[in-house]
Amino acid sequence: MDAHSKKILDAYVSEMPIYEKLRDVVTSALKETLSKGRLIAGIETRLKTKDSLAGKLELKGMKYSSLHDITDILGARIITFYTDDVEAVAAVVENLFEIDWANSVDKRKIHESNSFGYMSLHYICRVPESLYKDENCPEINTIRFEIQMRTALQHVWATIEHDMGYKTDVEIPSEYSRALSRLSGLLEIADEEFKTVRQEITEYRRKVLTLVKSGNFDDIGFNMDSYKNYLGVEPFKPLLDKIASALNAEVQQTGFMPYYDVLKQLGVKTLGDIEKMKKECSDDAVRLVLFQIGDKGLDIIASTVAINSLCTVYTLKCGNGEQGVKNILDRLYGERERNVSAAKRIVEQAKLLNIVK
Amino acid sequence: MEIIKKLTGTTLTVSLTEQLDTVTAPELESALNDLDGVKEVIFDFEKLEYVSSAGLRVLLATHKRMMPVGKMVIKNVNESIMEIFEITGFTDILNIE
Repeated sequence: MDAHSKKILDAYVSEMPIYEKLRDVVTSALKETLSKGRLIAGIETRLKTKDSLAGKLELKGMKYSSLHDITDILGARIITFYTDDVEAVAAVVENLFEIDWANSVDKRKIHESNSFGYMSLHYICRVPESLYKDENCPEINTIRFEIQMRTALQHVWATIEHDMGYKTDVEIPSEYSRALSRLSGLLEIADEEFKTVRQEITEYRRKVLTLVKSGNFDDIGFNMDSYKNYLGVEPFKPLLDKIASALNAEVQQTGFMPYYDVLKQLGVKTLGDIEKMKKECSDDAVRLVLFQIGDKGLDIIASTVAINSLCTVYTLKCGNGEQGVKNILDRLYGERERNVSAAKRIVEQAKLLNIVK
Repeated sequence: MEIIKKLTGTTLTVSLTEQLDTVTAPELESALNDLDGVKEVIFDFEKLEYVSSAGLRVLLATHKRMMPVGKMVIKNVNESIMEIFEITGFTDILNIE
């Protein structure tokens, strides 16, 4: 190593505590800010080892006049799931740090339209005094560092390429270089597909929400998403209020999600089917609950009592008998011997009330 | 009603007899005042014959207290108490084995 490079290396060794401090400041600022949303898959920060810097200086030591000219001694990497989140993360980084635009590069845009390869957004940054200031360590605000932002798939490609041991892509034998390019193109397509799928799911959820709010239940397929949105309009509340009021009972809130499987099993295809079920079975569902609880003097019920009774009455009206009721109990509480006797009791009660013959 | 408590490690087993009703529910409530360090409460209902609304409220309160730190389980429930849990929908709230 030449004397100039050795001088830079020695400077690094003596400034190591400052770089470590800088790493901690950058790491905690990124984690604190980015962990608030759901943009990222991971954050990594690393300081170059002395050996790694020595290797870099051996190759291009003369390019740098001083240690602080080297902008990737501290490197941070932010990995996102989706390509459009790279832009969102970049906006966060721009707000958090001072960006050295002249030296920052968007490596996603350096490729020609017919070439593929390393895809990542690189920012060269400084910590502004507004973010962190230490009178005893002003270098924290002057030393530049690099932040790389890319998707998980871009990260996989870059990591594997790096693992192959070539420092630059021109060193890679052409047949392997072509294979890597092909893979890069493949992952770019996958990234775009993930982005599209996410956008479509978001759009679908928005559409379902609008339809639920407008009450167009027949147009909405029954699935976990639509059911969750449907529960948002408290579809079973009028029925529950009727029961609670008749019993003068306190209602204990509990989740309705276990009934998703029950409704599915009952053949519900659209939210409109549940509305139809409510229209046809609500009166009998109330009668059944009042009959079951009425003479026992109980004045506390779970909020699922209404939907439970509704499903029970519906399956009985469909002619499914004891087996139908048992199926509901099996689905809710698991298959157990007790469900047979419970189903038998419920059917007898329903017969007494003339809900079924 | 008799309340028998047995602490094994961080598991508290509470065995009850006869009836958990308006009269006895406050007794159970006081017996469960101190649950510091308890990660699991197991109610053994083998000798319990009846649960009223007051009893359901104590069970519910204990369930809610245990949720953040561990769990509450009810075991050996007889037919008539099970029916009370079922018709009130408490089977959707409590862990009944």
